[in-house]
Amino acid sequence: MPAAPSYRHSYRLFALVGLGLVVAVVVRGLLVPPSFGEQGHFRAAAVAEARAREPRHLGKARCATCHKKQAVLHEKDTHATVECENCHGAGREHVKSAGKVKLAVPRGAASCLACHQRLDARVSSFAQIDRAEHFRLVGVKDASTSCTTCHSPHEPLFLDRSLRESRLHPLIHRCRDCHAGPARDASLPRPANHPAIFECGYCHASIVKDFAARKHHRVGCTTCHLFIKESDYAGRIVRDADPRFCLLCHRGGSFRAEHAPPSVEWPKHREEMGGEPDQRCIDCHQDKIHLRPASATQPASAPSEKQP
Amino acid sequence: MSEQRGGGGCGPMDRRQVLRMIAGGGGLLLVGCYPRGKGPEAAEHYWGYAVDTTRCIGCCACMRACRAENDVPRGSYRTWVERYRIAADGEVSVDVALDDDHVFAPVSTPSVKALFVPKLCNHCEKSVCSQVCPVGATYRTADGVVLVDHKHCVGCGYCVQACPYGTRFINPVDHTADKCTLCYHRITRGLQPACVQACPKQARIFGDLKDPRSSINTILRQRRYRLLRPDLGTHPKCYYIGLDREVV
Repeated sequence: MPAAPSYRHSYRLFALVGLGLVVAVVVRGLLVPPSFGEQGHFRAAAVAEARAREPRHLGKARCATCHKKQAVLHEKDTHATVECENCHGAGREHVKSAGKVKLAVPRGAASCLACHQRLDARVSSFAQIDRAEHFRLVGVKDASTSCTTCHSPHEPLFLDRSLRESRLHPLIHRCRDCHAGPARDASLPRPANHPAIFECGYCHASIVKDFAARKHHRVGCTTCHLFIKESDYAGRIVRDADPRFCLLCHRGGSFRAEHAPPSVEWPKHREEMGGEPDQRCIDCHQDKIHLRPASATQPASAPSEKQP
Repeated sequence: MSEQRGGGGCGPMDRRQVLRMIAGGGGLLLVGCYPRGKGPEAAEHYWGYAVDTTRCIGCCACMRACRAENDVPRGSYRTWVERYRIAADGEVSVDVALDDDHVFAPVSTPSVKALFVPKLCNHCEKSVCSQVCPVGATYRTADGVVLVDHKHCVGCGYCVQACPYGTRFINPVDHTADKCTLCYHRITRGLQPACVQACPKQARIFGDLKDPRSSINTILRQRRYRLLRPDLGTHPKCYYIGLDREVV
């Protein structure tokens, strides 16, 4: 074993390692951006940069601060959950320029059909149409008719423009159904009192009175006359009285409560009673509901009773 | 000589000792350089997202809102809505409304079942994308959002390939990786993400997982949910209600 080992051969190696370390530290300082590693393996300043952008969609509460009238109408109808900016576009520029930058007002059917085109993947309880079929059913001849001719996008259940202004309920189709003739009928409520017409009895007094004495009197008028779950046409009156509609309440099931309406098995019940295949519940059980209105056999147009 | 001093007076070092010393020093250096950041527990919020597929009507208002809010270039999507159609023979077809207005067209072929599934970045707790990023340009914030540092990203696209949910893309304008930010500029101001605000059926729910009374915690207590590809161990924070076997 040599007594005095020489380390001269390693000086160069250690000098190189040292130099390498110095270069690494310098290069790292140059390449790694400031604030890198403060909160993790990333540039902490990037978080603040991601935050810094300004929101462009302001929300309908902001819209309502200026467009009060539209907001009040919009809030009352089925489109209440639809943001203004869904149809009109993001509002930041409009607000920043104090209204000088105008927002879009889509009038074509395309923007309505983005939601309301009938698709097999859409939930069946959602209002959706096939345009051609809808036009055929409601008797629209001109295929180029736009949705907004009948439906206001802000309150789509009010069908007619004059109706929207008079605040009548959507199931009556025309003002002149009540306000017929040249002379004003003094017995009719004045337009200022129109919200009272939301009480069905104002126009349909005899039916409402008759209904109150019968079995279904706890059921609200609009339960049957506004909403049909299985139909594409939410808002349409139940004229065809589809048995499936009655069965929504009267079908027996394990989840029925004690005070539930009497349950039937369909079509077993019909077969037992010897009914025809197209027999409807209402054909036998009309007496449980209310008088058959005189207009039931007429085409859908006017309410039968005009006098309160 | 340093190695003599380092040897602690035990005489001359052999090669093994020198190597050991170098390895030890290097290890100490590594430990010293390791970034010690704040963990998720340091933040006030921990954001989560839920999608109720039973409510989605496929109107794609979310896609339009996202594009307008975040300047998403045409042809790229930070969120999108998939339409699953299942035929009588069990064949599943999936399509997305990729036209400019994002409007689903009716399909004539019959289906026995059809549903919409909105998709977006899952903001995974164990995000793959941020692990593979070679420059640390993709990261998880303390409040649980996976973001991209666009100034630092080199656009290599590793994260695009790594994401098992296909939610990332290379932005054709600035050529960096791009993805859903949960509208970080909105949620940090107390607003909802643009897609959540735009959804007319409340099919998209956003909220604070740390707040027991938040809407997202309420819905996760009340409803049964699934995750997308839970087998991958990414721990996604996007909870799906009413998800079908065909989708997971």
